Amino acid sequence: MLADRRPVTASLGAYIHAPFCAKRCGYCAFNTAPWEPAAMARYVRAVMREMDLAGTVAWTPDVPVHSIFLGGGTPSLLAADDMSAILDRLRRRFRVLHDAEITVECNPESVTRVKLEAYRRAGVNRISLGVQAVDDQVLERLGRLHGAAAARAAFDAAREAGFGNVSVDLMYGLPGVERDDWRHGVETVLAWAPEHLSAYGLSLDPGSLWGASGVDGLPAEDAVVAQYWTLVSMARDHGFEHYEVSNYARPGYRSRHNLTYWRRGEYLAFGPGAAGFVADVRWANVKPVPRYCSETEAGRLPVDTCERLTDRQALAERLILGLRVADGVPASWLEERATGDGQLRTRIDWWQARGLLVFDNDRVRLTEEGYLLSDALFIDLL
Amino acid sequence: MAVARIRNFSIVAHIDHGKSTLADRLLALTGTMDAKKAVDQVLDSMDLERERGITIKAHTVRLLYRARDGHEYTLNLIDTPGHVDFSYEVSRALAACEGALLIIDAAQGIEAQTLANYYLAHEAKLAIIPVINKIDLPAADVEGTREQITEELELDGHEALAISAKHGTGVPEVLEAIVARIPPPVGDPDAPLKALVFDSYYDSYLGVVVYVRLIDGRVRSGTRIAFMSNGRTYEVHQIGVLTPGLTPVEELSAGGVGYLTASVKRVADAKVGDTITEAVRPATEAIPGYRDAKPMVFAGLYPIEDTDYEALRDALEKLRLNDPAFTFEPETSLALGYGFRCGFLGMLHMEIVQERLERHYGLSLIVTSPSVQYRLLTTAGEVLEVDNPSKLPTPDKIEEMEEPYVGASIFVPTEFMTAIYRLAQEKRGEHRSLEYLGGKRVHIRFDFPLAEIVVDFYDKLKSISKGYASFDYEFSGFRLAELVKLDILLNGDPVDALSIIVHRDKAYEKGKALVEKLRQVIPRQLFEVAIQAAIGSRVIARETVKAMGKNVTAKCYGGDITRKRKLLERQKEGKKRMKQVGKVEVPQEAFLSVLKS
Ligand SMILES: Nc1nc2c(ncn2[C@@H]2O[C@H](COP(=O)(O)OP(=O)(O)O)[C@@H](O)[C@H]2O)c(=O)[nH]1
Ligand code: SF4
Repeated sequence: MLADRRPVTASLGAYIHAPFCAKRCGYCAFNTAPWEPAAMARYVRAVMREMDLAGTVAWTPDVPVHSIFLGGGTPSLLAADDMSAILDRLRRRFRVLHDAEITVECNPESVTRVKLEAYRRAGVNRISLGVQAVDDQVLERLGRLHGAAAARAAFDAAREAGFGNVSVDLMYGLPGVERDDWRHGVETVLAWAPEHLSAYGLSLDPGSLWGASGVDGLPAEDAVVAQYWTLVSMARDHGFEHYEVSNYARPGYRSRHNLTYWRRGEYLAFGPGAAGFVADVRWANVKPVPRYCSETEAGRLPVDTCERLTDRQALAERLILGLRVADGVPASWLEERATGDGQLRTRIDWWQARGLLVFDNDRVRLTEEGYLLSDALFIDLL
Repeated sequence: MAVARIRNFSIVAHIDHGKSTLADRLLALTGTMDAKKAVDQVLDSMDLERERGITIKAHTVRLLYRARDGHEYTLNLIDTPGHVDFSYEVSRALAACEGALLIIDAAQGIEAQTLANYYLAHEAKLAIIPVINKIDLPAADVEGTREQITEELELDGHEALAISAKHGTGVPEVLEAIVARIPPPVGDPDAPLKALVFDSYYDSYLGVVVYVRLIDGRVRSGTRIAFMSNGRTYEVHQIGVLTPGLTPVEELSAGGVGYLTASVKRVADAKVGDTITEAVRPATEAIPGYRDAKPMVFAGLYPIEDTDYEALRDALEKLRLNDPAFTFEPETSLALGYGFRCGFLGMLHMEIVQERLERHYGLSLIVTSPSVQYRLLTTAGEVLEVDNPSKLPTPDKIEEMEEPYVGASIFVPTEFMTAIYRLAQEKRGEHRSLEYLGGKRVHIRFDFPLAEIVVDFYDKLKSISKGYASFDYEFSGFRLAELVKLDILLNGDPVDALSIIVHRDKAYEKGKALVEKLRQVIPRQLFEVAIQAAIGSRVIARETVKAMGKNVTAKCYGGDITRKRKLLERQKEGKKRMKQVGKVEVPQEAFLSVLKS
């Protein structure tokens, strides 16, 4: 499938999924697997094999890769040697730009200064640290293995290892977190002075433990909204740009890889359950790790689902992805979608009237209030 | 077939007393079809009916039975529908019979519908054979049931058969009793044709298939027949018997039961209860008891997607082919656009029609609050019939208003009497009479405004009486009433489709319940939604749906855009079931919540 499709953009992202976690968190709906050394070793071989297989496609030597993102699971469970081997393999099979952004998601308890230094030598230049909260009790409730002190230590270790681009993940709307706790958490993390901050509202997704069992002590919607606004203003005061629904960055530190998604750029995908996008095709790999491994070992690309998008779907995607970003999208895209759809036009007027959507020169974008309600608009844009 | 060897009968029973089981047994025993197939096919053959455990159509099957006297008999089993909404159809099916098996569960004894069915059969002057079923159960009390039969019915309990339909015990005796105790039809095959239509349905190949019971005369293919209610004449194409599939025969004659086809295009032209005669030699009078099934409940049906209007009309027309009891005509609503005002026999009938439209025709519909038909005198001296609250003239133009009343019959064990009286009072019932039946059971008559009982009365009655109460009603006439129109406003704009007509004394309570219910079902939207109930310009209740606070997917799983898009698409699907009324998206349930509050 990769063989008969050529990327249409100048450069690509690459996502690598590392599925293992030492323990599954209550809210987690990611494709994860219990961490075992043997499974890990097999996975590492498999993912490199997958790169070999994908790398035989005719166009791969020509199209540069501008960003690599190792997500999980817990990619920081990868030993430094494995990390290095995987990135080397990718470089060998694809044209990874020398200044490509290479991010690894790290869980605080699984990194040390030494390991991070080795990651850096392997070419990693950006760390995304899964802090989530800075209250030990809350962290325990989430099922995380680190405490507040470990989070801080991991951040310092990243700095000491020489990382000048560190992002911190936080979650709001967590059970048992009051308004002041949240303010304190944000303050704490901002005091570390990271370059980038991601803040995700907790959602009880199907596939997660909490999604199935529910969880006590969730704050009311008003309180969750208040936490969002607290973060918005504190981040602004600390010089961050709110450049995407859930992401904040100091000038110059927006995540290139994530922007690729929102701008509907193309990206390769490796690892179990990883999702890729080239030309008009979105695909996803098989999720279960053993099956992913056996497919690759048998010399087959482990593609599970694959979907060709219609023009209409592509337009809807451009809009609903692009509007997540502060820059918004060209107004002409929205115009194209609204042509002949009176109902949508009316809705767009309401959005504007409520200050959720603004037209700026020839672009249109959501306001920070609009972000909060974005899915309601996106449904209409589909 | 000599008339003397024909028996026409039906089986009636309280639900779950074993009617279907016995019918299957009778089929198996007479070799009409193998037992397994029988279970699957015979009774309740339509999926909807099976799901709801009710029978809407009369099912009919011919059994050939060699009796112990050595003769072969034709036994026509005419099964009856089983819900108050369809009591007219029941009466017509019974009119096609000479006898009935009244099944009584030996462990439960006589129950509500046992009595109701007994009265129907009795009224139809049928020979009734009481059959005590489930004698295999440990809790079976055969003697007690016999006594009950003697005491509470005008029947001799000692003549009741005791059987187990499940195990087959005593079932051969049932067949013998049918032959011995049900009289053969009396009719003259040489007299002018006179046949009762007791059911009909539309078949896309054959046209309307008409189920008939011949009283007099004969009919063959080629006979020119006439329907006496409308004078339409047709040439018979095919005649046959029901086995239960359609099996053509040469001739049907007096006393016989079967079907005929005659390029009748609409079921409405072959209505239940009508009399078929011969065009050239007509009978002098029709079979008595025919009436046009009149809709009692009216509601607007609107497609959620305006573009489905034509599809809805086609579907309604198709449905009507098979169901002349329901009516429809175009109407428009400010809130909902173009739709149809439909009339139904009752709420169950309405739900069935709605379900058919949604399931078989894939339509998403909004059903507005049902209404009965009111009669009013305008100040200009005009008499109007109004079945749509939004068509009600303003109060200053109304001289007086009348609402339809029904006479209702409730049979219930004495222990539930208090609860029944309380419910009746709540529903503006007027007590008419109370009669004790054998000490443990009473027959209570009330007059009710039809509007009070169409919606959930039957369900409430069942629940407060633990299922023991039976209920039947008949239109009894119009009465003057203090009625007002209750409007619902969303963000200040009246939504005509949500208006209802209520008794003045109940308006406040109803208005409060309604806005509360609407607050629960209207999802939060971009804007705050104010829900008000008003009589004229006076607001009597108010609730608010707060504006949506947050609706965002925080995270995309490692670039899995497809997953996100699918999630949104699913939500969009859900929204398709909502109707945009002004700025407010109103879900389907909102319109029905008017009933449930
Ligand atoms: N034990 C026992 N159960 C029976 C007998 N006849 C029917 N049933 C059961 O009673 C239930 C209701 O029977 P069904 O024929 O569906 O009742 P209907 O609602 O009157 O048609 C079913 O579960 C039958 O299996 C019987 O003779 N003995
Ligand atoms: S660490 Fe992340 S991927 Fe692993 S279980 Fe927790 S939330 Fe899921």
